[in-house]
Amino acid sequence: MIRSRIILLVEDNPNDVKLTTRAFEKSDVPNEIVVVGDGEEAIDYLFATGRHAGRDPKVMPEVILLDMKLPKIDGLGVLRRLRADERTRRLPVVVLTSSKEEKDVTSSYNLGANSFIRKPVDFAEFIDAARHLGLYWLIMNEPPPRPESARNG
Amino acid sequence: LKPSVLIVDDSLTVRMDLGEAFELTGFATTLCSTVAEARSALLKGSFSLIILDVLLPDGDGIDLLLEIRQTPATAETLVMVLSSEAEVGDRTRGLKTGGNEYIGKPYDQSYVVARALELLRTREPGSAARSTTVLIIDDSPTFREELKSVLELSGYAVVTAATGEEGLRAAVDARPAIIVVDGVLPGIDGSTVIRRIRADAALRTTPCILLTCSEEPSDQLKALDAGADAYVRKEEDTRIILARVTALLRSAGSPSAVRATASLLGPKKILTIDDSLTYLHEVATHLRKEGYDVIPARSGEEALELLSIQPVDCILLDLVMPGLSGQETCRRIKASAAWRDIPLIMHTSLEEQAAMIEGINAGADDYIAKSSDLEVLCARVRAQLRRKQFEDENRNIREQLLQKEVEVLAANSARELAEIRATFVDELNSKNIELEAFSYSVAHDLRAPLRSIDGFSKLLLDDYAPQLDAKGQDYLQLVRESAQRMGELIDDLLLLSRVGRADLSRDRIDLSDIAKGVSEELRRKDPDRDVKWCIEEQLLVEADSGLMRVAFDNLLGNAWKFTAKVSAPRIDVGTRRQEGVAVFFVRDNGAGFNMEYAEKLFSPFQRLHTESEFAGTGIGLATVHRIVDRHGGRIWADGEVDRGATFYFTIPPARPGGRR
Repeated sequence: MIRSRIILLVEDNPNDVKLTTRAFEKSDVPNEIVVVGDGEEAIDYLFATGRHAGRDPKVMPEVILLDMKLPKIDGLGVLRRLRADERTRRLPVVVLTSSKEEKDVTSSYNLGANSFIRKPVDFAEFIDAARHLGLYWLIMNEPPPRPESARNG
Repeated sequence: LKPSVLIVDDSLTVRMDLGEAFELTGFATTLCSTVAEARSALLKGSFSLIILDVLLPDGDGIDLLLEIRQTPATAETLVMVLSSEAEVGDRTRGLKTGGNEYIGKPYDQSYVVARALELLRTREPGSAARSTTVLIIDDSPTFREELKSVLELSGYAVVTAATGEEGLRAAVDARPAIIVVDGVLPGIDGSTVIRRIRADAALRTTPCILLTCSEEPSDQLKALDAGADAYVRKEEDTRIILARVTALLRSAGSPSAVRATASLLGPKKILTIDDSLTYLHEVATHLRKEGYDVIPARSGEEALELLSIQPVDCILLDLVMPGLSGQETCRRIKASAAWRDIPLIMHTSLEEQAAMIEGINAGADDYIAKSSDLEVLCARVRAQLRRKQFEDENRNIREQLLQKEVEVLAANSARELAEIRATFVDELNSKNIELEAFSYSVAHDLRAPLRSIDGFSKLLLDDYAPQLDAKGQDYLQLVRESAQRMGELIDDLLLLSRVGRADLSRDRIDLSDIAKGVSEELRRKDPDRDVKWCIEEQLLVEADSGLMRVAFDNLLGNAWKFTAKVSAPRIDVGTRRQEGVAVFFVRDNGAGFNMEYAEKLFSPFQRLHTESEFAGTGIGLATVHRIVDRHGGRIWADGEVDRGATFYFTIPPARPGGRR
């Protein structure tokens, strides 16, 4: 796996996409942000299939920001698929959602989410959250060692 | 356990006669001739039954009866008073002193035994449960014993009889679960026995097996015609009979309901009322020969007194008597709800038609002239008893039908109720699921545009500030504030709805810890404020900690908010006992409220302050109210404008199996 410094944002709401990208800019997170609009595309992107067939599957994002409510395959479905596959099992996934329903938080962590962030209405709070997120997942966090197959390939 | 009988009589003949009869029936017998002997026997042993003569050489039997009744050990023992005294006074004295039965001498030996067994049977509460008694009626002692041992080995209780007549009597006494009867018997034959059994309401459901000598189709037909449930060739192995017995018992339903009707073949009591002793004696002798127990009475007054203490099966009433006339006696008997169903036969020496009409008019069921043959009298008595039996059966059947109807109705309404309930529960569940889905999408979809409104307003303010004048920036700030306020409203509404639906998981918790946690959070958020907190220790309750945290978030959050403008803010959390119940309270010395609006406090969206005074959504107290309600508690408030507010609530202990 090659460290790409890419943030994968899985989000279907274009306004939220704009705000999230802007929040990262404002909090001085310089990483490239790749946006996919639904769960199916997120899986296609990560495994270099379908629309993303031409992509180098060895290049994995540093962190995935995953919205819960998505068309086609929802956030939890994507999470389940990622955790079931050796190639993506250890990718850091931060679940981003509007809800703070306890069952959503619980099932996210049960399926192996690394973090759970509730999107606040107050944009200033969200910029704060983005800054912490970037600081932790992109700077402080030591990524897991590469899987055997990827290292040999 | 063998039943035991104490027979107290000064006549050796009576002692021998009854002793033998009871021993044959399976009783252990103790015979005494004097009161003294009886006393010492009663001290030494306990008896199922006592047969007591009234006139004894060293005392009065009724006095002894009184002693027996006053001694705790024997107070409940069955006592049958046996006396040659035909005086009604003795009879009433005996029965009033606590005798269970009074039988006049000369007695009929088999009647005494049958009556004793009947009394014992009705006394035993578990008697109906002895359902696996088999009655064998066969004249061959060898066969009887062989079959008996086979059946007993399989766990059945066995009663045997050598003749059809004896068998019928045994059937009444033992109420067997099944009867095995030989087709060929001395006296009445097997088919007749079964036919008689089938004619008796109390016994007719008893399964019967007829033993035949041949496989002749005519014999089979005869057996089935008689109402036998099965027939077995006598030459067959006794084990085949056992198998048939077991199979029949398995398929037979419980006839317990029918047992309530007295058996037609059982002992019957006839009250004979006549002023002539000679006639009384003559009638009594004749009826006793037929197996009836005769209670003589010399006048209408005596008869009425007797009836009040002892029920009878039939009344024979003289029309012409000194004192209370037959007609008047009849009228009084028929006017009583308890006695009106007893068949009453009027008899008189008057041959006139007028007398007969008079009798029937008074309510007699039948009329017979004294000149008639005593055989005719007996036949009339039999007919009346049969009629009464049928009436009882009919009434019984009617009552059973009515009972069944009531049961069916009750079952139907219970089922309907259950169905309605199930429908409601289903509906409620689907509504809850709907509501949950609704809340979920409200949480997501209503908040998303708010985020855009707030987010882009902030971006405008941040990135395009130079292009906007102060007023424009102010407006954008208002847009942001409104969006954020709507966000709070949505959150609070969702919380309110979640609080109503959440499963309650009650644990023993300390509200003091929760209150301290909330107070620390409030202090952290607003460290500049100096509020004096007084939180009592050990506020223990059995409650859902998550929900109680929400309640305290709101109550203490309010107290914190409303004390913002007072000089020495203070918040108290504690408990006090009120009418034996622990009442928790949260008190502040803040803005308070007008008690006139106390009712409105707990309804959603009710606010007693303007938004500019104190911010809030007006949902917090509604949520607290719902949380307390979910715990089965009560919440109320006390306050005064500018003098603070106190919120009280109770959390009763969890009821096992209560609403959760």
